Amino acid sequence: MSHGNHDQFRLGFLTAVEDAERGFVGGLLITNRFGRPLEFQCTAPVKPNRTQQILYGPTLKPYVLGELIGRTLLEKVGVKPHIVLVESPDLLELRNATSTLVASLIPAESGSSKRKSPDAENQKLEQILPNRLKLGNETIELSASHHEDRSEIEKFAKLVPADADLREPFERIREALAETIRLSMARPA
Amino acid sequence: MADVQSHSAKAQTASGPLQGPHWSPLQALDALELGRHTQDSLEELLGEVTVFPIPMTMRAEILSSGLNVALQRWPKISVEPLNMPKSPGLMPTWKPTRQKITTFGLQFPEGASLIAKQDADAKKDQAANAPPSSAAPPIEILPDYEPPTVASLIDGLNEEPKKKQVTRIKPPDDALAIEDRLFYLLQPPLQSWLAGQELIMPFEPFPYQYEGIGWLFSKSSALLADEMGLGKTMQTITAVRLLVRSGQVRRVLLVCPKPLLPNWQREFSTWAEELPFVVVEGDGERRKLTWTMPGVPVLIANYESLVRDFAAFGEGEFPKFDLIILDEAQRIKNRTSRTAVTARALPRRRSWALTGTPIENRPEELGALYEFLEVVPPNATPDLRQLQSLAKQFILRRTKNLVMKDMPPRLDRDAYLELLPAQQSAYDMAEKEGVIQLNELGDSISVQHVFELVLRLKQITNFDPLTGESAKLDRLEADMEEIAASGGKAILFSQWTKVIDWLAKPMAKYGALVYHGGVPTKQREPILARFKEDPDAHILLMSYGTGAVGLNLQFAGYVFLFDRWWNPAIEDQAINRAHRIGCKSQVIVTRFISKDTIEERIDRVLTEKRELFAAILGDGDDTNVSLSMNAAEIFGLFDLKARHGKGTRAIGPKPAA
Repeated sequence: MSHGNHDQFRLGFLTAVEDAERGFVGGLLITNRFGRPLEFQCTAPVKPNRTQQILYGPTLKPYVLGELIGRTLLEKVGVKPHIVLVESPDLLELRNATSTLVASLIPAESGSSKRKSPDAENQKLEQILPNRLKLGNETIELSASHHEDRSEIEKFAKLVPADADLREPFERIREALAETIRLSMARPA
Repeated sequence: MADVQSHSAKAQTASGPLQGPHWSPLQALDALELGRHTQDSLEELLGEVTVFPIPMTMRAEILSSGLNVALQRWPKISVEPLNMPKSPGLMPTWKPTRQKITTFGLQFPEGASLIAKQDADAKKDQAANAPPSSAAPPIEILPDYEPPTVASLIDGLNEEPKKKQVTRIKPPDDALAIEDRLFYLLQPPLQSWLAGQELIMPFEPFPYQYEGIGWLFSKSSALLADEMGLGKTMQTITAVRLLVRSGQVRRVLLVCPKPLLPNWQREFSTWAEELPFVVVEGDGERRKLTWTMPGVPVLIANYESLVRDFAAFGEGEFPKFDLIILDEAQRIKNRTSRTAVTARALPRRRSWALTGTPIENRPEELGALYEFLEVVPPNATPDLRQLQSLAKQFILRRTKNLVMKDMPPRLDRDAYLELLPAQQSAYDMAEKEGVIQLNELGDSISVQHVFELVLRLKQITNFDPLTGESAKLDRLEADMEEIAASGGKAILFSQWTKVIDWLAKPMAKYGALVYHGGVPTKQREPILARFKEDPDAHILLMSYGTGAVGLNLQFAGYVFLFDRWWNPAIEDQAINRAHRIGCKSQVIVTRFISKDTIEERIDRVLTEKRELFAAILGDGDDTNVSLSMNAAEIFGLFDLKARHGKGTRAIGPKPAA
């Protein structure tokens, strides 16, 4: 049974947790297409200073999570992903800072939940929402400034099992980050 | 004040736009005003105070140093123009700079091997302008590729998957390093692991089996003590498979009793089709070669050849294993036995033990298992409380009542049978003579003597050696007639091969097959296959020793225990050949017990003792009691202690052998 080199396909999952005192801790998990982990990178807590807080205003979170944390982690990781998934469309800005494809899951209630063949569904989606398409069991949104990504991601969408739970890996990252924070607090710095 | 204002206004118009400080400097008029006020209040004050003048003259000299002239010179003052900004500016300026962020990373074995492969490929293709290894490799997708669904991988069905229970692997308590803890936390739920296309499961495991797999996977010392029939084999093989897949182990050794070798081979090919295994067998040379053969992930050996071959290797030469699994681990319950000593000496990183009967006789036996698991120091004798707390950490035991609520029930029917007249008289005579003989032996009596008598009596309850009369056989024939008529199958267990051979003749009309230690190993598998497939083979006669462990005979709906074994755990093992996962209907278990004989007394003692050790393996777990009778109990059967002892002095051997 030949699979081309489908097994080389890797997904990146990027998210961060916020610790009230210490700031944001970001984590990037690279998995194969079945969700098995290949590499994990996380940051030390990143706390924006007062100036940044004032000057970035509501764009602070996308800036810290995308530009600072996301980009650093993507540069650092050894097993490079083909596509990075984030949990909030705010973070699609990361696409401007990296050459890797970036897509965001959209909140569950606004994505369609019916399972059809991804191709048919994607054609339909393209007509209504040119930035959205189906990946695994989720609808994803692409960066508005990178339309050319769509065809590439559509190609990869075939490799992800249609009922793959793309939210689950984020849970793993959050758990791992909580653990690193817990362990680093327990130890003297 | 009006003066002051007009004055500063004047100054402003004179010098154009204001260039200096924004506040007005103190003017002469203000100073005068201020001085006047001060003078007034000073005079008021002095009017009330008497003042004495104090002479303050001091003699001062200026030394001649040559510098004195400089003190009299006027300082030189020069003027320089300053460029002041003409328009307002922002100070300080701020530009967004990218902060340097420290990161921490963890690469999984699978990822590491991907990178290694990529680097190698990149080197190979350097001439062909391959992308740099830092980028993700291009993916070629076959045009007709259809993505698999998780559901289709699990059971080949294209149904909408139900909301499945999610089992996550927890980091073990003893993993302290952050890398280790993250390693476990970042593993996907087991259900989706198993759904990966390389890990096709022949059947979907039960929820408790998923739990067991997850537990084993994360333990470097583990005793899986699930009750017989709950799928220890499958859980172990799957956990091994996951460990191999995740790159955590490369060489695994499984040790089992010899009769179970074919069973493990069969199970490995069923549950881990992609995992190559090699059985250590053949002559010494070949075995030695097998032990050191590289690239074999799983080796299966029996206890005997392990002990022999380990001794044949020089010290430190025996190959190292990432994981060693002992099946039917009660084999090493005696710490000083050669098997136990060898097992402990094996070089390994992880140790698992499997047994349905972690305690067969005494709680100390658990100590021997813990020692193999390396969770107690050598020769430690943990007390009951310590055993309990270790059990919580290192033992996983589930019982059928607990997990298999939907499994067909096992119906126990104890058949109390009156001895036939000839049997009865033979029995009475043997007992009377036996007790007299024992009493005559006095202090030189040993447990062996009592044992011999018990065996003789038990044999008579099976059948009278002179006439061949047997109440049990009569009952068996009556039952078998019914079973055969309905097309059912039964397994019969006895302690003696002699009894089995004796039964084979009257049972021949039901297609009886014989399976005991006297049957050559090679012929055993075909016998089991025939029992399963031949519709005319209605009964399989087995000995406890050979048939009690490991075999899967769940198609048999009836089990007969022709005579009682010393140890209820072994009886349960035997019964569970038929009453295990996969059995479709209830299993009827008939235990033959001859009334008013030694059998009834044995039964009573064993039943009374059942609860004694229950606490060790957890409350409410009523099936972990597996006790055989110790010497004191055997003596107790004959009341020898009371009749023969002087005062309170106990006779016979000490309970612990």
